[in-house]
Amino acid sequence: MKTQPFGLIRNRKALVGVAIIAFILLVAIAAPLLTPYDPGARVGRPHQAPSLAHWLGTTRIGQDVFTRLIYGARTSLAVGFGAGLLITIVGTALGILAGYRGGKVDEVISFFTNMVLVVPNLPLLLVLAAFIGQANPWVIALILGGTSWAWGARVTRAETLSVKQKDYVKSAEMMGEPRWRIMTFEIFPNLISIVGINFIGSVIFAIITQATLEFLGLGDPKVVSWGTMLYAAQKASALSVGAWWDILTPCFALAFLGIGLSLLNFAVDEIANPRLRTGNRLGRWSALIRSGEGRL
Amino acid sequence: MAFLLRRLCFYLAAFVAAATINFFLPRLMPGDPVQIMFSSAGAELPPESLQALKLTFGFVDGPLWQQYLTYLGSIFSGDLGRSIKYFPLPVSTVLGNALVWTVGLMGTATIISFTLGTFLGILAAWRRGSLFDVIVSVGAIFATSVPAVVTSLIVVFFFGFTLNWFPTGYAADPALDPAFTLQYLGSVLYHGILPMLTLCTVLTGGFAVTMRNNMINLLGEDYIVMARAKGLSDGHVMLWYAARNALLPTVSSLAIAIGTVLGGSLVTEVVFNYPGLGNILYQAILARDYPVIQGQLLIMTATMLVANFIVDVSYVLLDPRLKRA
Repeated sequence: MKTQPFGLIRNRKALVGVAIIAFILLVAIAAPLLTPYDPGARVGRPHQAPSLAHWLGTTRIGQDVFTRLIYGARTSLAVGFGAGLLITIVGTALGILAGYRGGKVDEVISFFTNMVLVVPNLPLLLVLAAFIGQANPWVIALILGGTSWAWGARVTRAETLSVKQKDYVKSAEMMGEPRWRIMTFEIFPNLISIVGINFIGSVIFAIITQATLEFLGLGDPKVVSWGTMLYAAQKASALSVGAWWDILTPCFALAFLGIGLSLLNFAVDEIANPRLRTGNRLGRWSALIRSGEGRL
Repeated sequence: MAFLLRRLCFYLAAFVAAATINFFLPRLMPGDPVQIMFSSAGAELPPESLQALKLTFGFVDGPLWQQYLTYLGSIFSGDLGRSIKYFPLPVSTVLGNALVWTVGLMGTATIISFTLGTFLGILAAWRRGSLFDVIVSVGAIFATSVPAVVTSLIVVFFFGFTLNWFPTGYAADPALDPAFTLQYLGSVLYHGILPMLTLCTVLTGGFAVTMRNNMINLLGEDYIVMARAKGLSDGHVMLWYAARNALLPTVSSLAIAIGTVLGGSLVTEVVFNYPGLGNILYQAILARDYPVIQGQLLIMTATMLVANFIVDVSYVLLDPRLKRA
């Protein structure tokens, strides 16, 4: 069959994705072992080109770009996974609640979900962040969690509607199991693939959005992350003075991590959902990412 | 018709929700928000601007609900207050000028990438598993998982600063007077190419993937087999039997994508110093110009709702079942 080589390539993609994430994670954890410098300290002359002493050059104020890159990975990963988790928890809980309870509960939750979906996410985040002032990464993670759950809730609700018709849910109801038990132990485990895809999609979204907010000057410039690196480099007009290493380093890091996570999304889907071997898989994934303006 | 009316009511509610967020945010600030905004903007403001600022956020004498109604009233009459940075220009003027550029950029980029993405998706699905399909699918993953900030910066670095092919800022040559002359329009086009290229790179992949998957789901249907059995040409079956039906869900995905387009154009404008909403917003954030920051949320929400409504209308036109309902 003609589709065979394509399936193989997909599996390889998943492998590559896991490898990329693992690599970035390891580098982030081992950051102090990999560099002699402090990410905030001035350790060289301003805007030095890459050399043996400074592998990726220095910033406008003489900080080591490589050091900031690997320390910044910690912030970007932590916020990404933290906010992703938050978004997923809120979205899944609301989705299951709306789908299982139905009636008034469903109407209220669905109304708010649809409303959050049509209010543009990034402008809303910008307004919130502007009022908070220079938001540290955890505040950003928190407001991401509060504003970006809508797509997950919608998808989870739709899936819950079909799961709740299953016999095992009906029999649990007959036996008089409490509602919260049915929702957490009968329905939730059967939504795990949707939840997993939602989670990775949300992580991608959170990492991109955090970097964007910080790039636009809404982050705390003292924090070292890929977003604040972009902000500082852009503010120092790194491109027009020819210091490409200053601005392209966080760019490629973000692109690399984004690609890795997207590839990982295939893996989760394939492991959790062997039935889903149709092209639909890609569609759901891309819709999830794009939902909350996953890619800004 | 009932469908469109229902959507309109919903959009109205969504807009009021955005306005409500705007109303309550300054009231959640500790201390006197107007004083804080006033002082954070620097001392060069005339005293009468303090009064204008108070009115912008609906700080009138009276209970909260009265303030809220006053605020909603002024929003719906198109009065968004006055900008701090460009005082005494009204926010609606500042944003209105920028909106033209943003909608132009967004609209063109959406049309180009939607058309291109749809055709790539059709071809990829038609030759599922071929090298072309793999290239389109993998390319779409790469293009869609890279943030717009990154794409913009790489494009501006490569085509703007390194190759020097295109300008790296402004919507047109600042030396030219804005007029409907060939020279000016040419300059607008020339300056628009890089931001457009960025947005299209960011958007095309998503449309291609959606279309490809819709097509693949349809290709097994009986009427496709039947069309082939009738001996129709490949191209005819592909475009008039499969693609026509696959287009419907793609159009509804367009509504979701509008938020992406907005966010993307916001960032792209900042990088390319393009005088649209995104750039105005960026300047407003740097200057802590709160009335403009709040105004842009309303304008962007309105833009998104209008775009959503256009998609709704085209959906009704494309799907005859909805027309009868």
